[in-house]
Amino acid sequence: MNGIQILLITLSLVIGIYFFIRLRSSIADTIFLFLLIASAITLILFPNITTKAARWLHVGRGADLVFYISTMLFWFLILKLYARQRKLEQTLTQIIRHQSLQVTTEQKNKPAADEQQSGKNHT
Amino acid sequence: MHTQKNNDTVAIIVPVYNEDPSVVDAVIETLQKLPFTVVIVDDGSAIPVSVRPDEKTHILRHFINLGQGAALQTGFEFSKIINADYIITFDADGQHQVSDIEKLLLPLQSNEADVCLGSRFIGPQNKTISKGRTITIKTARLFNFIFTGKILSDAHNGLRAFNRTALETISLTENRMAHATEIILKIKKNRLRYKEIPVSVLYTNYSLKKGQSALNGLRIILDLFLNKLFE
Repeated sequence: MNGIQILLITLSLVIGIYFFIRLRSSIADTIFLFLLIASAITLILFPNITTKAARWLHVGRGADLVFYISTMLFWFLILKLYARQRKLEQTLTQIIRHQSLQVTTEQKNKPAADEQQSGKNHT
Repeated sequence: MHTQKNNDTVAIIVPVYNEDPSVVDAVIETLQKLPFTVVIVDDGSAIPVSVRPDEKTHILRHFINLGQGAALQTGFEFSKIINADYIITFDADGQHQVSDIEKLLLPLQSNEADVCLGSRFIGPQNKTISKGRTITIKTARLFNFIFTGKILSDAHNGLRAFNRTALETISLTENRMAHATEIILKIKKNRLRYKEIPVSVLYTNYSLKKGQSALNGLRIILDLFLNKLFE
């Protein structure tokens, strides 16, 4: 095992452990994470696998193939995050809208209710 | 003067965000003179709008800033609560003319259209529009066409009128300025009848400062792309 392999495996394990602690609740997530880290470590230890796959896909080097796939995954993740952010924004908007409508309608109904109340007191 | 058919309720929605209080007060004061309901939506201004609510004037306040699209939708929701038959959207920066409201209402009241959109570029030409602004608006018009397939002479005019059918079917999800294009998308999707009405716009230094910059246009385009992608 050479230097870069030790570094990459350590980083993969740290990321894996970190996410494992966070995602403890879901079994599916844990299995997915385990498979991801396991395949990362396998590819780091046996770089020939990526090279073979790269040749088969007519890409020069294994590292290039990994780079291309990572770029695609990166864009996919950005879009996923954007979609989630938009959803969050819509939820926030609904909450604020609901609150503003409630405050205004309550204020409008209040004077009428107060008048009714004082009217009752008079009788 | 302004006519009201069969005691129809007309609500004028005024979205406000960090406007000069003296400008807003002047705009609201002119609107209050009309026989219509005024719905002010304060979109989280640093200094809350100081207009006193009364029977015909309602103030809604977002406690954080969401954007003009969100403010308009809040106004729409409130208009449904007060059972408004017609809704006018009116910018708070003093660029719109009160006399134009009647022109926008007429086609709705005579049931010729469901939505009336104010346009600066049909009818007598407006001389106060700068060259740079004309280019920005023309680019916006092109993008409107790309996204909606409809060519409108004025893509981003804040003066619009909606009837109850339009109010029930249009629900804005674009919080920021992309709502202008979203309105056209919803008109098309719900097959609403629309009409462009010539209106005059008064550009003061103040309203120009508050208006849309070309850079802001990029943000609108990004929002529209995301809207198309995720809706």
